[in-house]
Amino acid sequence: MNQWLDERLHISRLNDKFLRKAFPVHHSFFLGEITLFSLIILIITGIVLALSYEPSNSLVVNSFDPGTAEKQNLIPAAYHSALKINAMPFGDMLRRVHHWTANIMVAAAVIHMMRIYFTGAFKKPREINWWIGMLLLIFTALTAVTGYILPYDNYAYNTVKVVYGIAASVPWVGSWLAQAAFAGNFPGDGIIPRIYGYHIMLLPGILLALTGAHMLIMIKQKHTQPQYAKRIAYKKIVGVPLLTQQTPIMLMLTLLFAGIVLLFSAFIPVHPVEFFGPPSTTPINNIKPDWYLLWVFGALAIIPSFEMNILGGVIGSEFVGAILLPTMVIGAMFAVPMLDRSKDNNYYAENPTNHPVRLAIGTSFMALLIILSVAGYKPDLISGNVLTTANANTVLWILVFLVPAVTYFSTIGIVRGIRSLREADERESLAHAAAADD
Amino acid sequence: MTRYRKQDPEITRRRFINAAMGTTATVGIVSLVGVLGTANPVFRLTRDKMPPVEGDILVHASASKEGEPIKISELSEQLVRAWPMGKDKEGNKLIRKGDPNNVLAIYRFPKGQIVAPTHLDATIDGEIVAYSDICTHAGCSVSDDDQQEGQMKCPCHSGQYDPKRGCIVVGGPPPRALAQLPIKQDGEGLVVGGFFLENPYPFTESEWEARKEAVKAQLA
Repeated sequence: MNQWLDERLHISRLNDKFLRKAFPVHHSFFLGEITLFSLIILIITGIVLALSYEPSNSLVVNSFDPGTAEKQNLIPAAYHSALKINAMPFGDMLRRVHHWTANIMVAAAVIHMMRIYFTGAFKKPREINWWIGMLLLIFTALTAVTGYILPYDNYAYNTVKVVYGIAASVPWVGSWLAQAAFAGNFPGDGIIPRIYGYHIMLLPGILLALTGAHMLIMIKQKHTQPQYAKRIAYKKIVGVPLLTQQTPIMLMLTLLFAGIVLLFSAFIPVHPVEFFGPPSTTPINNIKPDWYLLWVFGALAIIPSFEMNILGGVIGSEFVGAILLPTMVIGAMFAVPMLDRSKDNNYYAENPTNHPVRLAIGTSFMALLIILSVAGYKPDLISGNVLTTANANTVLWILVFLVPAVTYFSTIGIVRGIRSLREADERESLAHAAAADD
Repeated sequence: MTRYRKQDPEITRRRFINAAMGTTATVGIVSLVGVLGTANPVFRLTRDKMPPVEGDILVHASASKEGEPIKISELSEQLVRAWPMGKDKEGNKLIRKGDPNNVLAIYRFPKGQIVAPTHLDATIDGEIVAYSDICTHAGCSVSDDDQQEGQMKCPCHSGQYDPKRGCIVVGGPPPRALAQLPIKQDGEGLVVGGFFLENPYPFTESEWEARKEAVKAQLA
């Protein structure tokens, strides 16, 4: 059959060009693959969910609890269909797998990005792929956020309300922007169809296109080589070919990963729509966004209230905390490859301890995001009597500056310690070798 | 000889193609922007989306008692959420919940506890006071503070308000106080005495003035 196909499609050229791509063997190189597998699982489960989901926020009678003839129990159709999906065989499981995989996809992408950053793999010639990766991260987060609005329970309703408020907080064009993005004044009659369109067509389309570009550029430029490749064969591409050696490894990883996700989904429920109930005027106590947006939420919680009027546009704490700050953070991440001034192409993954400042900036950046996420728990910290209303902001603001600074200097200190230990070891082994030679 | 040298055409082939492509791209982008404009549907002010107007009856907003008129005896230092209930064109009862930002917070405090900057003439005997329940920060429904009795806290970003002092911001990110709604007693129940005294979420001052005019014009 190979020959039959080859005569017609020249698949041997495909084989030479793509399927023999060398994959370096190192566990940290699996992180990007896990992100890709998550995307595939999300698309498959998403298709199955879309078969039973009803994208509409018109009110329908709740068939599980219809109420009385005088006072019918009306709920949004989207919420009703989420209840129905839960009642299907394995329907709840399907939703959980989709939700868990989405969380894991973001996590794997973030850790993948940390690997790239700490080993200097973003350097010339791979800047373009770092920027595409950044876009992938942003669009993954957007897809995830639109996804958890779709069940349209009270939690989702409150979330989309806040998202609408954030969009509307942009000075000058905010209210037009929010209305255009969410189909009119909140909650517009078309809000769920609109978000459904984003979630299943627009955003996944962008994600797939970016993923394709990410892969093709990676194949064209080759992976950064791990340090062992330098020792084995300097300036040569070392690794196992995609077909057939890397493929079974990937398949095994996929199965293992899918197994873990199923295990998680079986035992840990996510987003119980029945518990939250349909949209209502009663807010949900201690509502939180997903973990990867908690830092924005935390920043909003500790920024004091203010409002500035500039040429008719209102700049408030919400705009600063939820749009300006994340833009600055993302901008800094985009700028990372431009801060590197080396003219030569980088072939080998670098040992992070050889670049202490880069390492320390990275760890203190992570520390900043983590402490801002902790600030997202401000109401819980106050209710738990860890902090009081009076001192919460002060304490959290001090931590926001203190923790990253401490992380920075302790990282530098630890790296210095490691280096001096290593140098001492080298001196000692040299001395031993010299002694042995005598 | 120079007389017969080949003349350049008035426009080169390259320039012509560049200009044509530029024009196509411009027209394309402008029409795309036009199409994107349709993403924003027109807002129609229907009666169920109007803010509370004079004469509206305040009814319960909680799911179990929705639509039942609020009685003064049911009020306390615990927040009671209410919808304004007006009338449609035929004169039938109509709860104005088409705009979820119409939800109201009602409190009753012992006499003397409510102080300025609350508009005392808009309360009932300085005891019962009504505010917009929508946080001026991100538009969440504000709840009772679980730590301090008689205070309000928004569950979204923990903005805090003091309902005894005109719902001024006492903590967190909200930019301004909750808007107070003038109310009057009508037997056992509560009726709205007029528009919100300040601009409620999500209106700016000028938008709020425009909305009030639009409502007055439609009801006149």
